Amino acid sequence: MTHRYIKIGVTGVVLVLAFSGLLWSTLREGTEYFKNVDEVMADRKAWEGKSLQLHGYVVPGSIMRRRDSLEYRFKVQNSPPRASAVAPENIVEASYTGVVPDTFKDEAEVVLKGQLHPSGFETAPNGVVAKCPSKYEERKAG
Amino acid sequence: MASLGSLLLLASFVVCAYAASVSVVGARRGSRRLIESGIGAFYLVAALMTAASAIMINAFLTDDFTIKYVAHYSDAVQPLFYKITSYWGGLDGSIMFWVFLLSLFGASAVYVNRERHRELIPYVVATIGVTQMFFLYLMVVHKNPFTTFLMAAPKDGRGLNPLLQNYWMAIHPPSLYTGFVGMTIPFAFCIAALITGHLDDSWLRAVRRWTMVSWLFLTFGLTLGMIWAYEVLGWGGYWSWDPVENAGLLPWFTATAFLHSVMVQERRSMLRVWNVTLVILTFFLTIFGTFMTRSGVVQSVHAFGDDPQLARLFTMFMVLIAAGSFGLVIHRLPLLRARNELDSWMSREAAFLVNNWILLFSAFFVLFATMYPTLSEAIAGQRLTVAAPFFNKWMVPIGLILLVLTGIGPLLAWRKSTLGNLRDSFLWPAAATLVTAVAVAALKIGFWSSGLCFALCAFVTGTIAQEFWRGARVRQRATGTDVATAMIGLVGRNKRRYGGYIVHVGIVLIFLGFAGNGSKKEAIVRLKLGQEATVGAFTVRNDGVKAADDGQKQMVTAYVAVFKSGRQVDTMYPGRSMFRKHEDEEPRTDVAIRRTVAEDLYLVLPGDIDFGTQTISLQVFVNPLVNWIWLGFGVLAFGTGIALLPERAFSFALAGAAAESAATTAVVLLALLLCAAPVRAQHVEDPNGAVPPAKSDLERKLRDEMGCTCGTCAHESLNKCICGTAQQMRTRLRAELDEGKNHDQVIQAFIDLYGGQQFLSSPLNQGFNRLAWLFPYALGVTGAAGVGLVAIRWSRRHDTAETERPERADPDMDERLDDELRNLD
Repeated sequence: MTHRYIKIGVTGVVLVLAFSGLLWSTLREGTEYFKNVDEVMADRKAWEGKSLQLHGYVVPGSIMRRRDSLEYRFKVQNSPPRASAVAPENIVEASYTGVVPDTFKDEAEVVLKGQLHPSGFETAPNGVVAKCPSKYEERKAG
Repeated sequence: MASLGSLLLLASFVVCAYAASVSVVGARRGSRRLIESGIGAFYLVAALMTAASAIMINAFLTDDFTIKYVAHYSDAVQPLFYKITSYWGGLDGSIMFWVFLLSLFGASAVYVNRERHRELIPYVVATIGVTQMFFLYLMVVHKNPFTTFLMAAPKDGRGLNPLLQNYWMAIHPPSLYTGFVGMTIPFAFCIAALITGHLDDSWLRAVRRWTMVSWLFLTFGLTLGMIWAYEVLGWGGYWSWDPVENAGLLPWFTATAFLHSVMVQERRSMLRVWNVTLVILTFFLTIFGTFMTRSGVVQSVHAFGDDPQLARLFTMFMVLIAAGSFGLVIHRLPLLRARNELDSWMSREAAFLVNNWILLFSAFFVLFATMYPTLSEAIAGQRLTVAAPFFNKWMVPIGLILLVLTGIGPLLAWRKSTLGNLRDSFLWPAAATLVTAVAVAALKIGFWSSGLCFALCAFVTGTIAQEFWRGARVRQRATGTDVATAMIGLVGRNKRRYGGYIVHVGIVLIFLGFAGNGSKKEAIVRLKLGQEATVGAFTVRNDGVKAADDGQKQMVTAYVAVFKSGRQVDTMYPGRSMFRKHEDEEPRTDVAIRRTVAEDLYLVLPGDIDFGTQTISLQVFVNPLVNWIWLGFGVLAFGTGIALLPERAFSFALAGAAAESAATTAVVLLALLLCAAPVRAQHVEDPNGAVPPAKSDLERKLRDEMGCTCGTCAHESLNKCICGTAQQMRTRLRAELDEGKNHDQVIQAFIDLYGGQQFLSSPLNQGFNRLAWLFPYALGVTGAAGVGLVAIRWSRRHDTAETERPERADPDMDERLDDELRNLD
């Protein structure tokens, strides 16, 4: 009887270890950090090259698009425009190629998926998510 | 009306509380009368909820915008169909709909089983009653759908979200809810068995069918969700591992595991603790899924909003379920001991066991990954997220392993397979796999992306075909008929087994569709007027854009010519619709899909259109084999239907079939009918885009009375709708009028043409059609009649009860209880 329990126990431990190992290694590649612009800009070097979901607001008048193409350049800041003045170090330049959602415009709240590089934030394909309030029901205040 | 609705909900809560408590008291005291009273009260809840639902639907139909919920999810111009489906379009109503379904399910489960499982029924009533009480409590104190505006009510409602104004979305929630709610019944029987200690296999027999039906609806709901995502959301796929999708998938995993392991318990009396655990887990996950998507705990594109109070209430309920049920399991462990042990790993029960582990692991993995952002925020203080690639990295191999097991399981014998058995049964399926693998290699299809999946599909198909063939041969020899008759007889003799195999065929087809993803092609192109682009085998050309407005929405439609191997094969019309009153939201993408057996061409029109130069961007997807997924579901539903058929359905003694079997057949037919629903016409914007003016007043009047029958445009009147179907109908109408027919003759001609009145905007106000408007009232009357019947039955029972001898000779106690009951009433 005890022999059997040892066998079951050992198998269990091995399986759990194997799975946690696999999980850990895949998680390391698959994880994206959800960060606000100021959190990233406070220690810019540390975040360069990591997969990020960058949350911020489009700086008014910053969206530029190359003629007859799908290449965009724009700036993202930490807090909603008009709410308060934003320090220039809390603004990050971003680039993107692809289709943007219709709600992507000046002052829109966005989440950008991609990586930070010295030249700016490079947004991954389909990485622009305009964050509108939940589609089924508005978010109530508070 | 609104206050009556609130009152009915309150009454349901009170009656529910009474039913739950009196059942438990009755069971503990062994009082038949109290138990009967509890069952009666339980039926009463169903009647009350029916009445409340009737009031809600009536409010929607009569545009009663004093009720906040109605004002939020409906408006005056919304088509009748979507007015009714708005009932479950929002949070409050969906909870109410949930309770409504649960009360109906519960009542019928109790009705069917009240004699056969007499000892379990009181606790079944109590368990379902407590669940209903929880949801009713939510509504009464926190989310009352009948809340009215205290100040001035708005003149018009806001309208159902445009994304939800879709045929699939209208039937997706009820199907998913039916699946979810249905899982409460097995749970209730399980808890009842645990409490009473009647832990033989009889409770399993009572819930097997319920679980199968719920499972079917759950699968159907998930499939509908996929179709909706594919046709409406316009990102080119059908499953993105969104928390809301995952919430439906979690209980599906555990329910599937249960459907398999229950066979092991029946056959070998093993896995008893395991089965009980699976039933509890499944129910827990349905509640958890609801919690996850309704409380704002997990961020999702289409979850309902944040609600901390709701989250707290749900957490309390879930802790109660988990602690209560697992406490009971531990308490009953001695009774749940297995009577047999696993003889060999080369046995069917071992295959089932492995299949169960993997399904359970999938459930936990998806749960973990879905909750990962929330967990990491709570533990590490920073929000880390994982996206679809992470899910795929895990779930694709897991899915493939499950697929292999689907093939291996039926080939293994119960208890122990010998080497000879194995060689015998694996020879042909293995050959099929090999042939497919060689073919895949010859066609240069990527091995890891889809080739492996194709080969495994061949393996499973091989095993199933072999099972059918061998079974039929044996039967043929025994009965001396031809193979086809033998095969039907075989299925008829062992419906669950062969129905199950047909379900597996459906699964294989679905996997075939999944495998198609491996060679999916996707491109975004910017096209000037007349410019072409090639994606895969298709070439698309921009033939211009056009804007139109139909009062409810503004539409932009692009004209895209499609070429394949140099020849024009189609013109497609991807577009975008901007709905009035929803201007702040993303416009609805009107995806254009060209479906074929081999692949779908899927076009999406992004919003950056330059009207001046008619330059558009275009997202082009070529999705191979997608349609096999939907077909696979059809096969799966058929197989489940066969497995569900009552024992005597195939014999000719159908006349004597029990009421239960009739009920099952009805459910099966309903499910099959629902599956047939997808057959419908396509709504395609007509290139000319405008409605030609009517020649006469009569023509205008007739056009107003008729609605477009394409099935997707919300049945618009022929004066408005600009799609091709409407155009054809107008031409037809003109032709009829030119023949000199009067109003009624034209209507009659159309009725003859369509074989019904579906083309009319509103049913003719005569004869049978008046009934259509009576629907909500009829529902209400049914509810009232139900209340009345219960009341009459109670009073009668009272008369006879006086002549009966009390079962417990304790007059004092009875008197006291009577007093208490009177006070309660």
